[in-house]
Amino acid sequence: MESTLEQHLDDTMKNPAIVGVLCTDQQGHNLGCRGSLSDEHGGVVSVLARQAASLMRDPTDTPTVCLESDSGNILMKTHGSITVAVHKMAS
Amino acid sequence: MTTALTQGLERIPDQIGYLVISEDGVLASAGELENDERTAGVIMQMVQTACKFRLHGTADPPFKRLSVMFEDHAYLVTVSGQKVFVVKRQSNQREPISV
Amino acid sequence: MGCCYSSETETTEQDRDERKPLIPHPNPDSKPINGAERNPANLPSTRTDEQALLTSILTKTALNIIDVSAADSQGMEQHEYMDKARQYSTKLAVLSNTLSQKKPAPLPSLTTQPHQVLASDLVPYSDMQQVSKIAAYAYSAISQIKVDAKEELVVQFAIP
Repeated sequence: MESTLEQHLDDTMKNPAIVGVLCTDQQGHNLGCRGSLSDEHGGVVSVLARQAASLMRDPTDTPTVCLESDSGNILMKTHGSITVAVHKMAS
Repeated sequence: MTTALTQGLERIPDQIGYLVISEDGVLASAGELENDERTAGVIMQMVQTACKFRLHGTADPPFKRLSVMFEDHAYLVTVSGQKVFVVKRQSNQREPISV
Repeated sequence: MGCCYSSETETTEQDRDERKPLIPHPNPDSKPINGAERNPANLPSTRTDEQALLTSILTKTALNIIDVSAADSQGMEQHEYMDKARQYSTKLAVLSNTLSQKKPAPLPSLTTQPHQVLASDLVPYSDMQQVSKIAAYAYSAISQIKVDAKEELVVQFAIP
């Protein structure tokens, strides 16, 4: 059943600018990851997403949390009960 | 001292509010973030969480700026000299620029 | 929790087992079990085997069970109790002093140019859209993972 998700993560990594992707649930459990993002990042990602959600004014406008640096950004977005983090290198 | 901190923030394009927070509390606030202790609290928590993030066993947090992006506005956060700087900026990014 | 005991045997036997002490009498030869007196002498030998089996099961359970409610607490003298309480509060006072002196980890400095960093361009909208799409796809992919119940987890044990 998890093959669809696994395939999706592989497809995401095909993008040359993306060097890491991670999928976590609301408790920080790793649902799947590739590249520069791994198990240990699940906790921080899920907590950051939850903390950012408390800044929402419009419940349909979920925020994208970004950790930005000169070499690249880590973008996090929650959809439903899962949060996805994508590590994208600067072009 | 506060003017030096806030002058630079006031000049940021599209800014609609800012906060300067230290471990003792809010040092300065303006615009939509004026006296917004709640947002200051949430942002401080986020900064502390984000600073724990490490990539591939590197020693330092892998970012210069933390941003929380909504449809029409964004909170941008950074840390310098034991102080957290937050600026709220308007963003009209609905139409992606086609090249 | 769940079914700890169930039986399809006659009521009389059930009553007898309910009233039987958990830990059997240390001198088993002294008295025959009440049930043996109640039941007529023309009982087939299989019945006694069953009784023996049940008795052994009960004995084993009684030896393994730790009955928390029946545990005999060792009584403490009043002065012993006061002594211990004082020792604990002194220990706690010492510990809380050392704890309050610990300061939270200082925040690392991310930049020496905060205004410049905050003024620079926002993350491109196209990137945000891209991550939004990846998240939406991931969510629908995960919805395919669900519990596939194959058989009942709780079953009824039947003692023939």
